[in-house]
Amino acid sequence: MKMKLTALAIALAATAIVNAAYADEFKVGSVISLTGANARGGTGMHEGMLTAVEVFNKQQPKHKIKLVTIDDESAPAKAIAGVEQLASQNVLAITGGATSDLVGPASTAANKAGLVYITSGGTSEEFVTQGYKKFFRINNTNGYVRAMTGMFADMGIKSLSIIYSTKKSTNELAVDVNKIMTAKGVKVTLHPFDPAIADFKPIINKVKLQDRPDAINMLGYENDYVGILRAAKVLKPNVKALVGVWQIANAKMSKDFPDLVPNVSGTEILPYPAEFDSAEGKQFEATFKALYHKSPDYLSEYGFVQAMALFEAIGRAADKGSLMKDGLADEMRKTDRTTLIGRLQFDARGDNPNFIQHIGQHQNGKIVIVWPKEFATGKMNFPGVPW
Amino acid sequence: MSDLILQSLFSGLLTGGSYALIALGLAVVFGTMKIINLAHGELVLLAAYIAYMTESGLKINPLLAIPLALVVVCIASVLVYFFVSKIKKDRELNSLLLTYGIGIVLTNAILLIWKSDIHSTSNAWFQEAFVLGSLYSMNSELLFFIVSLVLMLGGWWWLAKSWHGRAVRAVASNRDAAKLMGINPQWTELISFVLAGVLATFAGVALYSSGVIQPALGESLTVKAFIITVLAGAGSIPGVLVGAILLGVVESLTITLYSSALQELTGMLLFLLVLFVLPNGLFGASRRRG
Repeated sequence: MKMKLTALAIALAATAIVNAAYADEFKVGSVISLTGANARGGTGMHEGMLTAVEVFNKQQPKHKIKLVTIDDESAPAKAIAGVEQLASQNVLAITGGATSDLVGPASTAANKAGLVYITSGGTSEEFVTQGYKKFFRINNTNGYVRAMTGMFADMGIKSLSIIYSTKKSTNELAVDVNKIMTAKGVKVTLHPFDPAIADFKPIINKVKLQDRPDAINMLGYENDYVGILRAAKVLKPNVKALVGVWQIANAKMSKDFPDLVPNVSGTEILPYPAEFDSAEGKQFEATFKALYHKSPDYLSEYGFVQAMALFEAIGRAADKGSLMKDGLADEMRKTDRTTLIGRLQFDARGDNPNFIQHIGQHQNGKIVIVWPKEFATGKMNFPGVPW
Repeated sequence: MSDLILQSLFSGLLTGGSYALIALGLAVVFGTMKIINLAHGELVLLAAYIAYMTESGLKINPLLAIPLALVVVCIASVLVYFFVSKIKKDRELNSLLLTYGIGIVLTNAILLIWKSDIHSTSNAWFQEAFVLGSLYSMNSELLFFIVSLVLMLGGWWWLAKSWHGRAVRAVASNRDAAKLMGINPQWTELISFVLAGVLATFAGVALYSSGVIQPALGESLTVKAFIITVLAGAGSIPGVLVGAILLGVVESLTITLYSSALQELTGMLLFLLVLFVLPNGLFGASRRRG
């Protein structure tokens, strides 16, 4: 009997020791577009988030992140339902949102549920003015506007045609670029287009015959750029530069549309092939390649940065014992570190005041960073158009 | 200004031709069975993806994908008919739900197979400029406008002159009377679906060769085709062509004279205006009056 009790005591003690060695597991929700119109952007960001899970769990073995993902199917109603479903599963926070149209409703649902929400897809100004105390983002419209207007100013252009989608983010960008360039004395003409547009020739023809600008600024998405560039290649307006915003200066566009993109520029953080010089960058690239057998792009980079910021704040709050006392948002606001997209901090509104994009240009199948000068990896081809 | 208007009319004409090609298959099925196949856009998209797969995999002209796409899309179209024909009650309403569901399944199948990336042809000739005086278009747009006209004429000739075509019109006109005349309505309906599959194939290859495709596109193609079908008047092939070109030109002029942001709105206003004045559509009303 005594032997049995001793064995039982040893077994219990061993179990306790093993349990103590187990990491705390924290459940984090991800509501992102894996299908539907925004699937390309959402999938890229999601791959970055999963890379962050892998990296974080290796870096901090005492904490373990478990990412639970719900596909919002690029539909705002499903984004709301996804957040509510994850809230009912007691996730600590939500990371996600491929575009502003989805971030709006999803972040509202997260706010109602009292959850921290972080994104790189909601660049619209309204998200940081609505007073949500647990909303955070790593990039914003201002960072894109500063990059494009800065480059146009350096180019010395005198007239600009902005062709922009009427979606929330692109509309906001157009308004801001117009305001800044007009203030600089540049003649700006605006051409809003419906996202369902099939033929851009009438717009490009107006640009060619009426506006006669020095440069065209394209504010849209991949499919819009293909339509605009095709129409421009047919009508050949006499411009010196074509500059887009997101989803244009990337390896995929270079690979899929090699005839359309030469000399076309767009906002981009990294050159292609990517050159990571930091230890974190190298770890990100290696982990990403091991998981997906391809090179990371800016979408996965954003997903990684937003997820790492969140996971690290969870780790810090857990260490301090404030996680269950609603201290995650406070810990998020204490974030101050150099990331793959530059220095990351969150102001009182949850915005990253340091964010500024670079501009990359397609040159001979590569993406060369051409603006700002201090980050340039090559010389800008200017004047430069695809035809 | 005249250059702008002329180019706008030319672009609208060519866009209308591609709209007509997309809408014709839907109009044929609507004329025969009085149902709207809400999976029609996805059938068009399926053909477009087969063209992409063939071009990217075999590095050949996407036009050479047509035989394979014909087989696959016609089989898919026949399967849609098989499911629709099983509906015993309230076929008009239930077929809407059923075909909408089939459309979702097809979209997700496309997504599963070809992922969410956007695609377009890499064939240089299709994208090169065709210049006629001061008018510009891509070679592919002009080519498929001509293909559209030829298919319209062929479809009209088939419906007017061939036995099967006349059987389709008979079933569309009065199913019971057609039965009494020895026409098998099931076979006739099946033929309509096969014809819709053929037309969707050409529309899909045209779409891939002159535009951009992505998995979520099917629904908007169906909506455009639906608007044109109703605008045209049930089952009217000339109506489809006229309605599609009218829509294309109105959209193009809206962009040129006002703003592209109003393009969809003016298209819808045209649709409502025509239905207000001619409730049976452009050609449905003229037939009735005639």
